[in-house]
Amino acid sequence: MPTILALDVSLSMSRPVKTEAGGEDFSRKNLAIHGLSTLLDYFTANCKLEFTSLVVFSYLWEQLCAFTRDVDVIKAALNTVGDFSKTCFEPVLRGVSSLVVEEFGGTTPVQVILVTDGSTGVGPGSLQNLLQAWDQGDNSIRCPLPFPFKGRLTVVCLASPIEPQLKAALPMFERLIELNNGAGDIFVPEGALDMTSVGEMFTRVAVKYYSPYRGLLTCGHLKSNITLHPAPTPLDRSSEFSSAQCMVSDRLEICGFMDLGDIASPPTVSRHLVLPLPARPGNEVKGEGDEEEEDGKVPSFTVLLHGSLKVEGMVALTRVGPDWFGILYSWADSKKKSSLMLSLFEPGPDAVSWLGTLNYLGPIADFSVPPYGEEDNCSPFPVRPKEKRSYAQSCVVWIKSVGLQADLQKVIRHARKLPDKQQQFYKELNRVRKAALSFGFVELLPAMAAMLERECTMLPGSSHPDAALQLTHAATKLCSDMAKDAAQMIMPLRTNFSTDDV
Amino acid sequence: MSSSIIHKTIFVLDHSPDFLKSCNQSTDYDILAKGKASGIIPAAPIFKSLWTCSVEAVMEYIRIVYDIFPTNKLISVVTGSQALNEWSDEQNMVQIMNRLAEIGPPTSSDEYNLVNGLTQAVEELCKPTPLQKKMMSSGDAESVGNKGRIICLAYAKSDGHMRMLEECVSGAIEQHNNLAAETENLLPINFCELDLMHVVPVDEVPTISPRVGHEISPILSCTVHVSESGREQYNRLIQMAYNHYRLASTTVTGIPMKEEQNASSSANYDVELLHPAEAHDEILKSDFNKIGSNFLSGSVEGLMIDSKEGLPISTITLKWCTPKSSVQDLPACTGAYRITPVDVNSRPSSCLTNFLLSGRAVMLEQPRKTGVKVVSHMLTSHGGEIFIHSIPTGRSILEDPPSISEGPGGRVTDYRIPDFREFMKENRLAPVSPAVAKISTQLPIQRALHHVERTSRFWPMVISDSIIFNMASHIDPLPSMLVKERLSDDDELECRKAIFHVVGMETRNEPLPVNLTGTRIKGNKREQQYSQMWSELETLVRAHANTSEAHKRVLECLLECKKPSDDRRKLDKTGSGKEDLSEVESAWKDLDKYQKMTDHEKREFNKVEAAPEDTGPLVKRLRSGFTEPLVKTSGKQSLLSIWTNRIKSVHSQRHEEFIGRQENKGTIADLYRHMFENDGNEEIPVGKP
Repeated sequence: MPTILALDVSLSMSRPVKTEAGGEDFSRKNLAIHGLSTLLDYFTANCKLEFTSLVVFSYLWEQLCAFTRDVDVIKAALNTVGDFSKTCFEPVLRGVSSLVVEEFGGTTPVQVILVTDGSTGVGPGSLQNLLQAWDQGDNSIRCPLPFPFKGRLTVVCLASPIEPQLKAALPMFERLIELNNGAGDIFVPEGALDMTSVGEMFTRVAVKYYSPYRGLLTCGHLKSNITLHPAPTPLDRSSEFSSAQCMVSDRLEICGFMDLGDIASPPTVSRHLVLPLPARPGNEVKGEGDEEEEDGKVPSFTVLLHGSLKVEGMVALTRVGPDWFGILYSWADSKKKSSLMLSLFEPGPDAVSWLGTLNYLGPIADFSVPPYGEEDNCSPFPVRPKEKRSYAQSCVVWIKSVGLQADLQKVIRHARKLPDKQQQFYKELNRVRKAALSFGFVELLPAMAAMLERECTMLPGSSHPDAALQLTHAATKLCSDMAKDAAQMIMPLRTNFSTDDV
Repeated sequence: MSSSIIHKTIFVLDHSPDFLKSCNQSTDYDILAKGKASGIIPAAPIFKSLWTCSVEAVMEYIRIVYDIFPTNKLISVVTGSQALNEWSDEQNMVQIMNRLAEIGPPTSSDEYNLVNGLTQAVEELCKPTPLQKKMMSSGDAESVGNKGRIICLAYAKSDGHMRMLEECVSGAIEQHNNLAAETENLLPINFCELDLMHVVPVDEVPTISPRVGHEISPILSCTVHVSESGREQYNRLIQMAYNHYRLASTTVTGIPMKEEQNASSSANYDVELLHPAEAHDEILKSDFNKIGSNFLSGSVEGLMIDSKEGLPISTITLKWCTPKSSVQDLPACTGAYRITPVDVNSRPSSCLTNFLLSGRAVMLEQPRKTGVKVVSHMLTSHGGEIFIHSIPTGRSILEDPPSISEGPGGRVTDYRIPDFREFMKENRLAPVSPAVAKISTQLPIQRALHHVERTSRFWPMVISDSIIFNMASHIDPLPSMLVKERLSDDDELECRKAIFHVVGMETRNEPLPVNLTGTRIKGNKREQQYSQMWSELETLVRAHANTSEAHKRVLECLLECKKPSDDRRKLDKTGSGKEDLSEVESAWKDLDKYQKMTDHEKREFNKVEAAPEDTGPLVKRLRSGFTEPLVKTSGKQSLLSIWTNRIKSVHSQRHEEFIGRQENKGTIADLYRHMFENDGNEEIPVGKP
């Protein structure tokens, strides 16, 4: 996930660190730069594709580096950091929020690493003042937490754990993380404050949040060691009755394949590039020939899979955990470069309604009738729900009188075309009548009868004699007690002119 | 474990004569077409009763919820003292409408007490839903949460009456919880929200005062609403649905639509849709960003406005983008949420829904006065349901990814892509009907995994790694047959035929139809190719040998057909397969070793070996096929024994063992054992040239 490094550059950061040995003279800022370099070196070694941005803050804040994959740019910027005024957390947290939303929107998880010396500021704008105001519901300064994006707040303190100042600050940082819905944690160096302990602390941060994912992609006996970028994060799976946290397994199993068109546009919680890993050292021993040393020339299943999915326009449904699925497909960023992508569904077997329960997808070999047709010209998808939605069926809504008028006009239109439209006329008539009965709107029945009688009087002389007979019959029936029985239907009058019965 | 309160909702409709009162809001039902029937005065408007207005509003509430949450958000309607529908996975409006038609409106002679309805509602709340039943049967029944909401629409007499109703529900819950605790198939209520709505005719001054949510007991909270009947009651109920289910509203603006009267011109229309609020998460966040710290979100650039349908809610406007012919395949979307139009039957709504149901997709754009256009949503249908999809608008963290051709395996050019495409098609998935899936012993997805496993047992990834998959026409249908779970007699015969076909090719000394340029096959002599081909074929068949007895027989057939000399030839020339070294070979090695020994070593060797000379008498009995080993290499061996063994092995190779004895493990052979097997096997000699 992208990272914002927020470095405290208030005056207190330039305090020199007293060491027992009394050797080298360095400030907390030097320590911070050393620590951040350790972290950046870890990025270079393990996650080259991560975006990182550098923000410095004191009373004000400034973005020194926009989000970039070029670690050297950030390292260079770190060396130019100056010293500014007093520590203030509210503006920088707000600034970080707007930077991230502006750049990535609200759905990309971002890591915010706040590097500070553990002083929380004094007077107005200090952390203690702000926390007090937010806790008392004073909204004159709106609380910037929780972040408007899926953000984790990691506070890295450059202070010895025995400093009284830090002891006072820790509960306040904990409260900040609480305000961010508990997403985040605090790192403190172990032992005395020096280059070694700070470097070690940043390594802990790196290992905890930036350890690359390693997994095995399997398609039966075809396998490939892969990594995912970005590394998947744990996900909360909530249902009607429970919620649990789940994590992508280190074994991604392809269950089968589907057409791109059938999968349509499923909602996904995250997308990850699938990158094949070079053969493990154990395997290299096997390769005897010199030419096989080169990774590019050793066949990799991911490349075979990607090529085939791309040409065929298909996706591979992949199980990534118990009752949790995703799809693998070929994705092109630009026209030239395409890569294998894994999109993860919501955890749970019902993540994509139009595919049915994902656990109920079976191999086509199990079907007696080929689901895709003998000629491969049809599809068993989408899976349709049993019930139609209101907009796909003719439901009756008379909240607005326009709705009622439209339904009545439909009856009248058919009435004017009697006896040709006799069937439709009675169908609509009964539909309106039945709806009126459901709504307990019995006043409508005599009103409808009156309308039909009026139509009868307005029939032109040239009209078919059956029209008048049917209209009078329908009007009489509507006024009868039988019309109030929903179980019965008003049937056409049998006349000498009726053609239906022939 | 807690459950969500919206899992169960119960409407209680007052069925007392008071509800027969007119709502006092007139309804014009008779409109006259323009130009026609001049001189006719439209019929006077009619009035709906409080009952009718309530039923209509409740049905709209239900319609919206059923459309957006077809499962697990259940609603039941109680009137009189009976429930019109049960908790069911397949909830539909038609059923409720039919039952309402049967019940009918209250009559002036009805003696109805609302208490009965409310008690019934509490009883219904104690009944488990299908989902709750499933959880009760699958785990600890105690942990199944049971919350719900009762919404009661009534014409109450006084504030005191309302208090009485609250107390009555509280009492009923207590009573039913006691009962449920003792009854196996009932669930006690953990929490209940009671919404009492007093409905008065328009312009009547209500005698009851509304009360905000207040606690009656730890498990019952009550709110008293007072509303005029008719349009206001509808608005209030939709607002309730909006709040209860955390919905949001989107108004699609600028939908081009042909005029009803004049088909040649078109005008732009707006349609308001309801959907889960999550669909707006992203847009509201970026909005939050633009406005300063002391602003309440909304109202920027006219993004959030009052509902165009006049509902007491706000809506976000998104602009219709005329769809292009091809929708970009598989857009990255972060969410898909069901929608329902606010005014489902209006002409613009039904035009939009029909357009979407026909399979088209519409992109929706955020209204911005300046800058590039931002497409943040897409409307489309899947399986007869319409969804609004959220599309991420921010920068992608996946931009500029390394191309797959740059990574491991990226420079290999002879992947068997056409074959893998076939593989994918054979391993396509299809939905198994839930009824079938429930009775089968294995989940269909598990079956799918097994199918993938079976079909991939021997699958070389590149062309140059394989001979047999380059001569598919010669070994067909062997590979496709082998992956089957069961082989019929005919299938088995087909497999044998394929093997015999290859035997025939070898006998006729035909070249293998393989283009060898650029392949990794070692050696280019025909003999070597055949040898490699046979070993590949054996790997393929052996991979499936354990599937069934028939598969095993195919392997046996292959091993019979594969010339015994093939193995040795392979060994001589490739030097691999050390485990397979026959004892003859090891005897030869010993001899070689002996020849290299120094004199002293030879003496030492012979001293030990010379003592017992007991291998001689065995010679006559040493015949292949017998239980005794062909050659004895272990133990003490002399030069003589090595030599005799050598001679014996040469002789035994020249000698062809009686076929009956070969096939029998013991020393006694069955004669004519094929006589009673089916006809299929008799054809074998015919196929063999």
